[in-house]
Amino acid sequence: MKTESNFLIKEENVFCGALSCRGCGWSLLVRHISNVMGTKTVYVVPACCFSIIAGPYPMNMLKGTVVHTLFAAAAATATGVRHSLDRQGKKKSAVVVLAGDGGTFDIGLQSLSGAAARNENILYICNNNGAYMNTGVQSSTATPMGAITTTNPSGKTSNAKDLMGIIAAHKIPYFATASLAFLDDLKKKLEKAKSLSGFRFLMIDSPCPPGHKYAPEMSIEISRLAVETNYFPLFEAEDGDYEITHFPKKKIAVSELFKQQGRFSHLFKTDATKLMNSYQKEVDTEWEALLEKVEK
Amino acid sequence: MKSELAIKITKVKEVKRHTKKVLKGNTAAAEAAKICKATFISAYPITPQTTIIEEIASMISKGEFDAVSVNMESEHSVFAAIKGAALVGERVFTATSGQGLLYAHEVLHAIAHLRLPVVACNVGRPSYPWNIWCDQSDSLAQRDTGWIQIYCENSQDVLDTLIQAYKISEKLLFPTLVVLDAFYVSHTNENVYIPEQKLVDEYLPPRMVSDTDIDIDHPKAFGGLVAPELYDKFNRLFWQDMNKVEDAFNIVGAEFETHFGRSYGAIEAVNIHAGTKKILITLSSITTTARGVLQSNPDVGLLKIRLMKPFPKKSILKVLEKVNKDCILIAIDRNYLGDNEGALMQEIKRAMYGGSRKIFGVYAGLGGRDVPPTTIEKIINIDFNSPETEEIIWIDK
Amino acid sequence: MNITGVFEVRGHARGGQGMVTAFDILAKVFSYTKNYEVQAFPFFGVERTGAPIQAFFRFSPEVILNRSNIYSPNLVVVFDEGLIELTNVFDGLAENGIILINTENPPSFYKGRAKNIFTVPATRISVDNKLGSKSLPIVNAAMIGAILKILEAGIDDAKAIIKKEVPNKPDANEAAAEIAYNSVVGLIDSAFTKSATIAKAVAPSYNDLPSVPYWDKPMSLNKTGTWRVLVPGYQNRQAPCTQSCPAGTDVRTFVKLTGENKFSDAYQVIYKHNPFPSICGRVCPHFCQQNCNRIGFDEEVNIGAIERFLGDKNASHQFKRVPILHKEKIAVIGSGPSGLTAGLRLRQQGYEVTVFESMPVAGGMMRTGIPEFRLPGKVLDQEIQKIVDQDVKIVLNKKVSVDELKNDFSAIVVAVGSHIGTNMNLANEEEIIEGIKFLREVKSGENKKAIRKGDDVAVIGGGNTAIDVARTVLRLGGHPIIYYRRTRQEMPAIAHEVEEAMKEGVQIEFLTAPVNIEKNKNGEFRITSVRMKLGEADDSGRRKPIPVKGSERKFTANKIIKATGQTFDDFVFTDKKVAVKQGEIEFVSGKNNVPVFCCGDMAWGGTIVEAIGSGNDVANEVNAFLRKTEYVKTERTNDVVSADQINFTYYLPTPGNSNPFKEVEKLLNDFTEVVQGLPAKTIVEEATRCLHCGDCYNCGNCFNYCPDAAIFIDEENRLRIDYDFCKGCGICVRECPCSAVRYQEENLVVTE
Repeated sequence: MKTESNFLIKEENVFCGALSCRGCGWSLLVRHISNVMGTKTVYVVPACCFSIIAGPYPMNMLKGTVVHTLFAAAAATATGVRHSLDRQGKKKSAVVVLAGDGGTFDIGLQSLSGAAARNENILYICNNNGAYMNTGVQSSTATPMGAITTTNPSGKTSNAKDLMGIIAAHKIPYFATASLAFLDDLKKKLEKAKSLSGFRFLMIDSPCPPGHKYAPEMSIEISRLAVETNYFPLFEAEDGDYEITHFPKKKIAVSELFKQQGRFSHLFKTDATKLMNSYQKEVDTEWEALLEKVEK
Repeated sequence: MKSELAIKITKVKEVKRHTKKVLKGNTAAAEAAKICKATFISAYPITPQTTIIEEIASMISKGEFDAVSVNMESEHSVFAAIKGAALVGERVFTATSGQGLLYAHEVLHAIAHLRLPVVACNVGRPSYPWNIWCDQSDSLAQRDTGWIQIYCENSQDVLDTLIQAYKISEKLLFPTLVVLDAFYVSHTNENVYIPEQKLVDEYLPPRMVSDTDIDIDHPKAFGGLVAPELYDKFNRLFWQDMNKVEDAFNIVGAEFETHFGRSYGAIEAVNIHAGTKKILITLSSITTTARGVLQSNPDVGLLKIRLMKPFPKKSILKVLEKVNKDCILIAIDRNYLGDNEGALMQEIKRAMYGGSRKIFGVYAGLGGRDVPPTTIEKIINIDFNSPETEEIIWIDK
Repeated sequence: MNITGVFEVRGHARGGQGMVTAFDILAKVFSYTKNYEVQAFPFFGVERTGAPIQAFFRFSPEVILNRSNIYSPNLVVVFDEGLIELTNVFDGLAENGIILINTENPPSFYKGRAKNIFTVPATRISVDNKLGSKSLPIVNAAMIGAILKILEAGIDDAKAIIKKEVPNKPDANEAAAEIAYNSVVGLIDSAFTKSATIAKAVAPSYNDLPSVPYWDKPMSLNKTGTWRVLVPGYQNRQAPCTQSCPAGTDVRTFVKLTGENKFSDAYQVIYKHNPFPSICGRVCPHFCQQNCNRIGFDEEVNIGAIERFLGDKNASHQFKRVPILHKEKIAVIGSGPSGLTAGLRLRQQGYEVTVFESMPVAGGMMRTGIPEFRLPGKVLDQEIQKIVDQDVKIVLNKKVSVDELKNDFSAIVVAVGSHIGTNMNLANEEEIIEGIKFLREVKSGENKKAIRKGDDVAVIGGGNTAIDVARTVLRLGGHPIIYYRRTRQEMPAIAHEVEEAMKEGVQIEFLTAPVNIEKNKNGEFRITSVRMKLGEADDSGRRKPIPVKGSERKFTANKIIKATGQTFDDFVFTDKKVAVKQGEIEFVSGKNNVPVFCCGDMAWGGTIVEAIGSGNDVANEVNAFLRKTEYVKTERTNDVVSADQINFTYYLPTPGNSNPFKEVEKLLNDFTEVVQGLPAKTIVEEATRCLHCGDCYNCGNCFNYCPDAAIFIDEENRLRIDYDFCKGCGICVRECPCSAVRYQEENLVVTE
């Protein structure tokens, strides 16, 4: 029998009415982030869906301070905010970047790398939905190979960037992946990230019904499938020590994940075996590599 | 004419509670950041600005300057960081030059429209073809970003202007760009009178934090989406306040004189009177050379523009009231912005619109090309009354 | 349509319906095929799926000298009817303006709102043509067709452009446009008058704007509930266990309470419908368990063990006696499960009740038809005693008829059960022992020599009686073989009983039926049997056995016991021909008539639990009769949670806990109980395996996963949906483990 403790949010730190699409990963994510971080947090938001979701004038979706900043500059603005708060003795107030994949993998990579390399005391959270969704689904370097976007109408022909590899190379105190289907795990990671100092990074695999082309009610199911297929393994690394936080119970082919999403449907109109096999191989290799990192 | 210049210099010498030092313009800028008690400093190296942040880093590491300094990875990030810091309520300072300023262009708009009292120094240099020498096209290309722009003539001016920049910025909530010429100012060691700290503190109290800054206990959002109708309204409010800058800057200059004994305003008029036949209009270091040339040209006046943005039309028109209608205005531009007219020429023409005065524009000294007295004399000696003389002249040595 | 000046169209739709594309296509149609000057443009805003949006279309035979939004449209097009009350769609519509609405309603529905009202069922047309989903039909092609009709622009020229310009499904879009073109209906209300109001660009009134904008108003000013098309809602749905209990027991609730260690509460939940938990816990076929949604996942919840535990655990529970409230006295004939249940229910309703039993002991078939090794007499005694303790009088050893009682009672309930074996129409049938009689006699001890050690006993039948007979034969030292004419699958006997019997050594010959019996001189029977095969399903849903020609064979047995069904003893009706059915029956007896009701085995069913349900029902009917109110049989809902509606992601496969089965080495004369109960800890563990089908168990999923923070816990600690903000994404529906959240049927926005 489950009890009240299953309700992960005791008091909402968001207001209702978010300008997000039905079944949006962003607004769900922010509910859980704000729940852990508390109201005395400064959120720095570069251009992304969340810049809109957070509220047009004069509304603020978050019960917390929000600094909207420029697309390329989230980690840099956060740096300024962090040092200034510290100087004013407000060391307990967390500075949290809420960025999309475009603002993280692409245009914001420089400032992200700069802040990570300086080990700024910032929690950087990337809501990765694998394309520029706010502007209507254009490819980013986080877009998976094969996915259709408006700028790759026949499907993307290059691999998604291994951002976690780049992040790891910065040797920051804490980085982790998390999924909206695994909210307990997400909460634990947020709490851990909150308790640590220095540059911390969370990568969230985020569902996007209009961008990934599926019915809004499927958001959680697809997110879960991404984890269960090992396409998006859940792990964390504190001081470089890797740990896997969820082991799938049974092996599910990655094609099952792709079949659920309209952005890949063209792949299955003809024989997709070859592509799926190579995807599967890559997923398996990455998983093995992750296991190796854990064993080290 | 001589007497007017002499008076100024004498005044400086007589001011008490100052220490004389021989400083470069860049060092004066660093010194100004310290005595203005900037609390958050961030910068990225670029010639010819670099020595400013080196000086600051050195002062901070020696414990002479109590500020946070963060070495960012680009100018875009620098300005983004100071934007964040200013929003939290810190007094921020940065310095850049040429490409760095151009790279940060996007952030300049954001800082201005967030109404943050940021003060930044720009050591002017052009962009392309690659050139590191004196030019004002970098800062003049930022005219429309909503920043106040002030141009400095010498190291003392740099120091004094930075103090005034914080004053005006924090008064009206606009960012200010203080521009100094590469090498002619930035790397030129000269006498600078540094006011004692207490004197500066009296003039420039710590920054007041307002509703429009971050207050952790009263969460708000900043810089989000604004619908068309409201965007229009906010810009109107911006414009209304921008209209107050010229008068306010003159007051700031007058107050500065009361405190420090050195007089400043939006413009400086030298030898402008009823008999003046030609007036040279200048920005920054060329002014000094022009002052020299004026010594032997009593019918030539000099109008130095300190406040370039917003352009001080009222002050200029007032000065020109006493001048004969035939007096010719010659704007000397050390910038080229891909247009027929230089920026100074454009601004002057705008200010004088509807009048009948003859206005000429001269391009001189681009990309660090030297402007010696002979060039100024050559400008003066152009036959502006000849119908052959074109409105825009590209001067040679 | 003869357009001379600029014609202006304003559209209202939801993000994702395709309005902007529709207007672009219209512009192309008017430009390419009619050579008009055109402008089509959206109000470019934050277009989120479902959120109200606007777009504009302007065309003219002359150059258009205006490049601003449209404030005084000639035509307003409403893509989603729900927007009419949400946004000012009529704003600025001129007095002779036209409005076109996508609706199933006729134009007259909107009479008085505009002069020229047209409607088209574009959503239906689009869904029929598989354009878009149920949550968001893409109605653009249909709306293009309808607009072209209103503008008298014809559809033929437009078709090619529609086909070319739609992002996908060109043929379906073309078809939808044409169907819509021909489906527009209009109403011109010449009496309509209205001074045209000019719509103003909406300027929020923030008079005291700060010079530096900051955002400090709650986002909840933005009511995203207006975006919703599908409406999720909490529903307490029926679980298959509860649904399938003939007694009407709220199975899901007692299992849940057991899981919470609330054994007494759980017991009382059962007792409300079933006064024999200990008995049923042992011998009921547990339809609840057979229909458990867990079956395809791992295995069903052992509800029987839980029920048995609760009955035994609460054996000493004392119920309060209800005072006598009514003057009417009621007689019940028969003290089996239905008679006792009916008696108890009527007593609980305040009637004085007397139960007459022909046997020296109460319990009916529970007493006589079920062997001790399945249902110890002690258990039976306890539960009957509890009924007696509640003041139900039982008169034993009294075989009565309705006629005898009619003068003393206001109503008579006949519940005599089926204790008389039915005839198989075989030769020498009188030599065959009736199974039910055999069991009764063995149990009562009156016939100790029914079976001799070593007897070969043929048992005919496939029900519980056949199994019980065979197992009893084993214990008496005989060698039983059951002959059943269908297969194991069709056996009406409880599956685990069959299994246990086979484990004990009972042999079963399936698809075998006796056709002839002869007796030889040794007193043995020569039985001729025939092989059967299964044909079509009969009325009972089971496949009908058909004899296989030429498959006769013969075998010998010392005894034959038949367990092929029973009928009731008509002594009770004093030889009158009576049509027996559940509830009140026609029974005429002289002047002094008395209402007679039937229930139990004789009326319907065949299991204890059905008898109990029958008893419950008849009690209500009798009460209604006596109180002169209308008797309404409780209708069962058909909204039962099926296994495919369960989200098994949220359940861990957990093996079930079966009752231990006592394996004895020597069965001879051992009549002790075979199946054992489970301890409290195991019972709780088993109860927590319940899926809670259709019953929210506070797992938190809907709340935790709601992207819109639109689920809250109300003052009564119940989960609620805040329809001001719910966008209808349906994640709560999808992620609810137990199907307690579902889409409601409404197509349009509703608010509570």
